[in-house]
Amino acid sequence: MINDIRNTVLAVLNKNNYGYISPQDFNLYAQQAQMDLFEDYFYAYNYQVNKENQRTSGTGYADIKKGYVEVIDFFSVTTPLTPIAPNYTQYNLPSLATTGSDYYLINKIIINNTLVASGTTTGNVGGQNKIIDSNANFTSSGVQVGDIVFVVIASVPTYVTVTSVDSSIQLTIEPNVINTFPLAYQIYKGSTIKEVERVEQSKITLLNMSPLTAPSLMFPAYTTEGNVATLYPTPALGTVVTSQYIRYPKVPKWTYVDLGNDNEPVFDQSQPDYQDFELFPDDATDLTMKILQYAGVSIREASVVQYAGAKEASEINSEK
Amino acid sequence: MSYISQYQYYENGGNAPEDANWGSYQYVSLQDIVVNYQLMYSGNHSLINNEERYKILFHAKRAIQELNYDAFKEIKVLQLTVSEELRFILPSDYVNWVRISYYKDGVIRPMVENIQVNSARAYLQANDARILFDQDGNAIQPQYSPLDFARITGQQPSIYLNSLSPYNGFLGYEYEGCWYFDFAVGARFGLNTETANANPTFRIDKKSGVINFDSTMANESCILEYVSDGMEGGDDTQITVNKLFEEYVYAYISYQILGSKLGVQEYIVNRARKSKSALLRNAKIRLSNIHPGRLLMNLRGRDKWIK
Repeated sequence: MINDIRNTVLAVLNKNNYGYISPQDFNLYAQQAQMDLFEDYFYAYNYQVNKENQRTSGTGYADIKKGYVEVIDFFSVTTPLTPIAPNYTQYNLPSLATTGSDYYLINKIIINNTLVASGTTTGNVGGQNKIIDSNANFTSSGVQVGDIVFVVIASVPTYVTVTSVDSSIQLTIEPNVINTFPLAYQIYKGSTIKEVERVEQSKITLLNMSPLTAPSLMFPAYTTEGNVATLYPTPALGTVVTSQYIRYPKVPKWTYVDLGNDNEPVFDQSQPDYQDFELFPDDATDLTMKILQYAGVSIREASVVQYAGAKEASEINSEK
Repeated sequence: MSYISQYQYYENGGNAPEDANWGSYQYVSLQDIVVNYQLMYSGNHSLINNEERYKILFHAKRAIQELNYDAFKEIKVLQLTVSEELRFILPSDYVNWVRISYYKDGVIRPMVENIQVNSARAYLQANDARILFDQDGNAIQPQYSPLDFARITGQQPSIYLNSLSPYNGFLGYEYEGCWYFDFAVGARFGLNTETANANPTFRIDKKSGVINFDSTMANESCILEYVSDGMEGGDDTQITVNKLFEEYVYAYISYQILGSKLGVQEYIVNRARKSKSALLRNAKIRLSNIHPGRLLMNLRGRDKWIK
């Protein structure tokens, strides 16, 4: 999609020799345009919700909101948060470094805080996918397939899943990461989850003071500070905290190999840093108009800005 | 709470305690209440949206507390031996008492609340009645007030017709070999029915958190029937509400949230209020379990001749 949009943009700009934008500039404008439209999804979604509440919206194919939900959900990521050493009771919020993507908004945080068993491994026979503890009784503790095991391997907090309860003292897990022994472990119930409520910093102190509303294992809460989530009540060591969040779209990048015959860069999507727009094809027009506006400002061509602005406005109006 | 198998229900899946799930089907858990409410009554197209969960949780718990006070009829019973100090410490989840009984010789005897004060605080005083203070400026208190001391040592007479009555042992009159009327002959003309009870008496000191008895209750067994607020000592996992009241709890939460929300039209608040009240009435009627089979024995007495 990115090459089509770039060609369209250049076609409009070059008409009557208005101008030309370099790949670097195009990539900057493309990122900006994509972010603009991405944010607009949420406002548009809210607009559709209000329309539904005013009973001026339909169902079936007329259910515009559904489309926005689908688009937003495309950017949804569900992934465990990494606990922070040394206590492992605070958690890193999603970021490029911890979960592979920055978050635009955290939709929910869920927690597995029902501790089933804990201990230290007493053997390492059978491979790196075994938890062996001769002092444990995994059967009577109620450990089941799907439960989650927390271990810290070489200072890296790691979650693995129980795939088989081999005996009362041995579990099979995946992935195969148990490469050290003895190793402390905590096993949490995989099927028992609770949603953690986000609470504002201004409320959390009061909330903790009230016996009726103080966060509990049943109704936990969290606050955020910087890139760290603090859970209430303080979770047990290794509690599994999973976040479902909406990530930012990846930065688009139009890549090329070298200049062609007529001194034009030639599009090459096999480059390792190539990245297409992540928005849906029906947003191509909006993306083009937005990039045109930025380009128009860049080349100081008011008519391009006006045209693109008017076109975008009419597009928005027609979608309402 | 999900549905459980018969094995889980009857034997708790082989785990202890065996009776963990008995009767559990009558109840819906607090977690279910909050989750159901958020799903069904709160959201973009509902009267209630953008409410924090802790508010819903708070109102749900308040509803359960209110129900526990009078509607549930879930009476807790605690039996303890009264100490030498004639005290019965109120249970940790005590809110109000229903009945206090004295258990002796296999018979439960309801006790009456003493209409007179039976316990007091006191300060040490000098000969001229001036209060004595310690070096921090606080009045010095004795271990027992004279009133308490007299009660604990059995020196406090009672206006009730028990063994502490000043007239206890006085001769009445003999009729066919038995002595009757536990008061001085000729001194009283009629009986004060309010105090005409031979059982020990008690009085509740709410602030101190104890029930004070008269001296005849020392080392005796006492049964306290009381109501709690259903908060189960703060353990959210144990808080439940009878299913007959489930809809009422939802209505109560809606009413409380709508009533405190800015810009909600009064007719909507009124609608929520009426819904809440009607559902409470319905649930109370249901819980009272009035049905012909239950009334049968009572009604059988209607033709009995009163002589």
